[in-house]
Amino acid sequence: MKAQRISKIEHGTPVSLIVNGQEIQAQAGESIAAALLAAGQRQISQNSKSRAPRGYFCGMGMCFECVATVDGVPNVRTCITEVTPGCVVETGS
Amino acid sequence: MIPRKPDTTEIAIVGAGPAGVAAAVTAARAGASVTVLDEYARPGGQYYKQPVHTDGGPSYPHSLASTIQQGRELLEGLSHPGIDLQCNTLAWNISADELVLDLYSPAGARALQAQRIILCAGATERAVPFPGWTLPGVIMAGAGQLMLKAHGLLPGKTFLLAGTGPLLQLAAVQLLEAGAQIAALVELRSRTEFLKSAAHLWRYPDKLGQGFATLQKLLQARVPIKFGHTIAQALGETEVSGAVIMRVDGDGQPIPGSETRFEVDTICLNYGFTPATELPRIAGCEQYFDQDYATYATATNDSLETSIAGILAAGETRGMGGAEVAVIEGQLAGSVAAQQLGFSPPFDQNGLSDKRLQARAVAASLGKMFQLKPGLCALAADDVPVCRCEEVSAGEVRAAIRNGVVQLNQLKPWTRAGMGRCQGRICGDILRQIVAAETGLPLSEIQPFTARAPVKPVPLEVVGGPVAETDTLTWEDHVGGYGVART
Ligand SMILES: Cc1cc2nc3c(=O)[nH]c(=O)nc-3n(C[C@H](O)[C@@H](O)[C@H](O)COP(=O)(O)OP(=O)(O)OC[C@H]3O[C@@H](n4cnc5c(N)ncnc54)[C@H](O)[C@@H]3O)c2cc1C
Ligand code: FES
Repeated sequence: MKAQRISKIEHGTPVSLIVNGQEIQAQAGESIAAALLAAGQRQISQNSKSRAPRGYFCGMGMCFECVATVDGVPNVRTCITEVTPGCVVETGS
Repeated sequence: MIPRKPDTTEIAIVGAGPAGVAAAVTAARAGASVTVLDEYARPGGQYYKQPVHTDGGPSYPHSLASTIQQGRELLEGLSHPGIDLQCNTLAWNISADELVLDLYSPAGARALQAQRIILCAGATERAVPFPGWTLPGVIMAGAGQLMLKAHGLLPGKTFLLAGTGPLLQLAAVQLLEAGAQIAALVELRSRTEFLKSAAHLWRYPDKLGQGFATLQKLLQARVPIKFGHTIAQALGETEVSGAVIMRVDGDGQPIPGSETRFEVDTICLNYGFTPATELPRIAGCEQYFDQDYATYATATNDSLETSIAGILAAGETRGMGGAEVAVIEGQLAGSVAAQQLGFSPPFDQNGLSDKRLQARAVAASLGKMFQLKPGLCALAADDVPVCRCEEVSAGEVRAAIRNGVVQLNQLKPWTRAGMGRCQGRICGDILRQIVAAETGLPLSEIQPFTARAPVKPVPLEVVGGPVAETDTLTWEDHVGGYGVART
């Protein structure tokens, strides 16, 4: 399920980032979670015990379900971290 | 690690939501130098979150544009030269004796000492556990709103909103205006309860009018509103593909045989809020049980001083109240703190206090209308994870209760519930409900988890532990989630 960018709203300058080795398009200023959802990637982390898929949930930095490795730093909350051009994101851990 | 001398400021404010910003602007205009700290990249908090791409002009859904505009006007005050706004900065600890906050930002760790500290940490949305609630695509209603407000992004196509209270209806209207399909809005209260409780608002025609206008928009758009129902299951393998709702009895207990299924890709939840009270509790500020919202919050006197000298609290940290209350309390707290330091604030404090009491009275009426119902705990069948981080099931929690556990802190060693990286922020309130339902104790006698620093997981070296290489950093190198010092 891809999140939809609302067409009549002006969006930011395009930037690209690398997610699990693939380049995706995002917009400057948006959170990494927003970029992932817009690219159709809903599973962001997995539970450390059951390995069950987890994704964007609270949107406000409280639940830690949206964590990914960003530019080598693990456990970054993607919902409150903005994209930077060319940033490298590894999801699923 | 060699302790560094703390930076200093006259007034430190934690949180740049409506309360914190109003406090900062008021105190700075009185002449005080103010430092505002917020964990997020931009100020605004929850309600006044601003769009990242545009100025939120007319292209925004109508119901969002006016809030964005109001927020922008308030936030413009932050450009006052007396205000130092530090975003991306988590206040992870507080020392009550010296009025020192420990800070962590990507630039590293620091401490900040102030003559007054105003805590404006806001609140967290609340959900109840049900089968499938951890699937990607099940999100909080506010999380859906934030995607829309901040990013102009609809997080799905076909939505089901479930829970109780006015936020659900507001979120539904905003999603609709942005082009979403809404399969149903599922409200816990029955239609009769809803109308009866709305009658309590007769003294506040503004609120009543706003509420009915929102409802009217949903009815005009033919959104099915399922009063007296709850979400009962999220369907799907790796993400949401459907939802099952059930009718509930007066206690909120789902009625077997009443299941209805919807094809949806996104489920938005809101069963009310829990005030964020970690820092005030670490500081030792007295807490009280807010009967109207059935949650614990930070106690203050009428001047918004907590029980700890030099520490004030405003906005949702001291009890759910909404954005209007948060702004008024921010102004009052900023004013009181500035006056205590010898400045002359621009406000008549008596006038502000009166306004505050009125706004709080409206909020109290709303709280009473939309409390959780104990029967909802039945949705958390024994195999449903209640603690999402540690995947502790409702069955494990109930077994611990049968063995004599009556407080959340006792649950930790038994089950690890609340010991994961969210530190009990998501499950804490619901665990209190389950303990109350199982033991028959009143909610007011069940205390939240003890708050401990760091309030969010931070790398071990920040709290003085061994330095880890960032590329090998794991949760064990963090304190505050899975880490040391959490036993
Ligand atoms: C998702 C959501 C939707 C809401 N929608 C509405 C609505 O439609 N109408 C309404 O009246 N109310 C709404 N509320 C209630 C609401 O929170 C507000 O009324 C208002 O935003 C409260 O203002 P505040 O300043 O108390 O807190 P907030 O706006 O929540 O701001 C708190 C700020 O403190 C920061 N913070 C917290 N702890 C720390 C820390 N330790 N270190 C650094 N920074 C920290 C946070 O990052 C945040 O920016 C909503 C709340 C939520 C959570
Ligand atoms: S979605 Fe909860 S922390 Fe990011």
